[in-house]
Amino acid sequence: MPVQTVAEHTSSSAPGDAAGPIVSVRGLTKIYRQGDINVTALDNVTLDIQVGEFLVLMGPSGSGKSTLLHLIAGIDRPTSGELRVQGIDISRLSESQLADWRNQNVGFVFQSFNLVPVLTAFENVELPLLLTRLGRKERRRLVTTALDLVGLGDRQHHLPKQMSGGQEQRVAIARALVTDPSLVVADEPTGNLDSHSAQEALGILQSLSRDHGKTVIMVTHDPKAAAFGSRQVHLEKGELTA
Amino acid sequence: MTLPGFVIRNAFRNKRRALLSTLSVAASLFLLVTLQTFQREFTLPPSDIGASLRIAVRNKVSLGVPLPVRQRPIVEGIPGIAGVTPFTYFGGRFRDEAYTPFAQFAVDPVAFTNVFVDARTPPDQLAAWMQDRRSCIVGKVTLERYGLKIGDKLKLIGTFYPVDLDLNIAGYYSGTPDDRSVFFHHKHLDEMLGGGKTVGTWWVRAASAEAAPGIISALNAAFANTSAEVRAETESAFQMGFVSMWGNIKLLIGSISSVVVFTLLLVAVSTMSMAIRERFRELAILKAIGYRRRELFSFILAESFGLAMVGALVGAGGAYLAFSFIDLPKLTGGMLRQFEVTDRILAMAFTIAAVLGVVAAIPPALAVARTSVVDGLKTLD
Ligand SMILES: Nc1ncnc2c1ncn2[C@@H]1O[C@H](COP(=O)(O)OP(=O)(O)O)[C@@H](O)[C@H]1O
Ligand SMILES: [Mg+2]
Repeated sequence: MPVQTVAEHTSSSAPGDAAGPIVSVRGLTKIYRQGDINVTALDNVTLDIQVGEFLVLMGPSGSGKSTLLHLIAGIDRPTSGELRVQGIDISRLSESQLADWRNQNVGFVFQSFNLVPVLTAFENVELPLLLTRLGRKERRRLVTTALDLVGLGDRQHHLPKQMSGGQEQRVAIARALVTDPSLVVADEPTGNLDSHSAQEALGILQSLSRDHGKTVIMVTHDPKAAAFGSRQVHLEKGELTA
Repeated sequence: MTLPGFVIRNAFRNKRRALLSTLSVAASLFLLVTLQTFQREFTLPPSDIGASLRIAVRNKVSLGVPLPVRQRPIVEGIPGIAGVTPFTYFGGRFRDEAYTPFAQFAVDPVAFTNVFVDARTPPDQLAAWMQDRRSCIVGKVTLERYGLKIGDKLKLIGTFYPVDLDLNIAGYYSGTPDDRSVFFHHKHLDEMLGGGKTVGTWWVRAASAEAAPGIISALNAAFANTSAEVRAETESAFQMGFVSMWGNIKLLIGSISSVVVFTLLLVAVSTMSMAIRERFRELAILKAIGYRRRELFSFILAESFGLAMVGALVGAGGAYLAFSFIDLPKLTGGMLRQFEVTDRILAMAFTIAAVLGVVAAIPPALAVARTSVVDGLKTLD
């Protein structure tokens, strides 16, 4: 697995397919069955996302933003349509292949920070690396780099409960980027933050795409947050509007 | 951090719960080991080969009331009897020990060897015992326990007889289920007491098992309406009554043990399920960042198994240590003969704990496997 440090990382985000879009969505549809009722969460969505973009998904509650994000990140499966990430049709991967794929290619940031409460900041960030073959020293170097990048180099040994919400979310961002993924997905990452912490978190996500060539996809319904992105798309009742 | 480190950290995230669940496993297994050890104690090899032929004759009033010596010729005259020996409990104290772990009986040596056919003594020692009226034979266990040698003196302080005995050890015997007692000449006791008119009990050997019931009725009838009525019982009848009584106890112990294990299982499953349910969302995140079902299952299994094993170590190990260091045979006046926690019992306890650890991991692991990342993320903290 080609893990590099975030700092070293420059432009190799899309191995093997540097020219095309990193995410290519064609006629993507997701229908949830709830008893007898079918809920169409995504309806025939077509979208390309380029390497290094900071794409913002906007739209009212229930419009399918999270669903689209989950499909692209490989934690949910589409009902129909085509979904390629880095040229790979991820809907054809087995559960276990998909798990490996996510480990190597996707970083996740959620609204609630979802850190493991019994682990320190350092250990939380180290979690995705425990699945790799990296040695202790190498892991330490990567974790330290990631925590430095989010400005928490001096908080390595703090437990989540000893940190503020903004710091917790930055630890979560460090965890998302420690494996040097090409794709970072964030679902309302500022939803639980005060505006100052939100600005910090958004600044980090912005710099990931601008300075480190990561492709960042963020869901939000806050226009101020959306302004950090390089492009916005809107969803309405499962369909793209603009 | 390492994956095992992660498991350990998770196991102790709720320290009180980890402690309580470990203790509940420990307490239950302690109980289980104790029960099983009891069970084994009561099913130890029950009797020697001569037991089915032997008949004990005691005073009908109570074991403590002696029988007149003049009964002997009458007993010997009953058809089908192969041997009769007087058998009187001396109850002496040995050395300064508060409790003497072996009994001493006054017998007729010649008749004794004819009644207690399974007690084996080297011929030269037997001959020496027969010749020396002040000598005795000592059970091999007692001999070894006190490091006694043939030719040594054995001093016994009388407790309910007002005499002390100073016996020569003529030999040892072995081959009975419990080679601990001391046997000496009844004549010597008679001399010391200046009497010789009574004995504690008679022990009789029937020539055949078929003859035993007839002998018993004949014995009971022979002394009916005399000043010393007797009660005769075969040793094996006594043993059988004993065993059948324990048969019920065995069933009882078996049922209690099953209930203990079953309850423990319920507790373990619900504790583990609760512990994991609290972490559903975290586990969903782990899945999202690349952990597979089998890794998550290993975490849950390792945690559950680990807690169960620590519980077993404390509970079963604790029972083992406790019963090794506490001399229960001594504390119970020899009622419990060994009370030994055998390897088999320990293995059973650890096996139960292992099964428990695995079984308790299955429901939460299945729940985690069935929950998709997206559904897991939706669960509330
Ligand atoms: N697991 C599910 N089962 C049934 N319906 C669902 C499920 N997840 C989402 N939905 C429905 O799909 C639609 C889109 O949901 P979502 O993508 O979460 O919206 P958003 O993130 O834009 O608020 C909603 O109508 C929601 O109720
Ligand atoms: Mg949403």
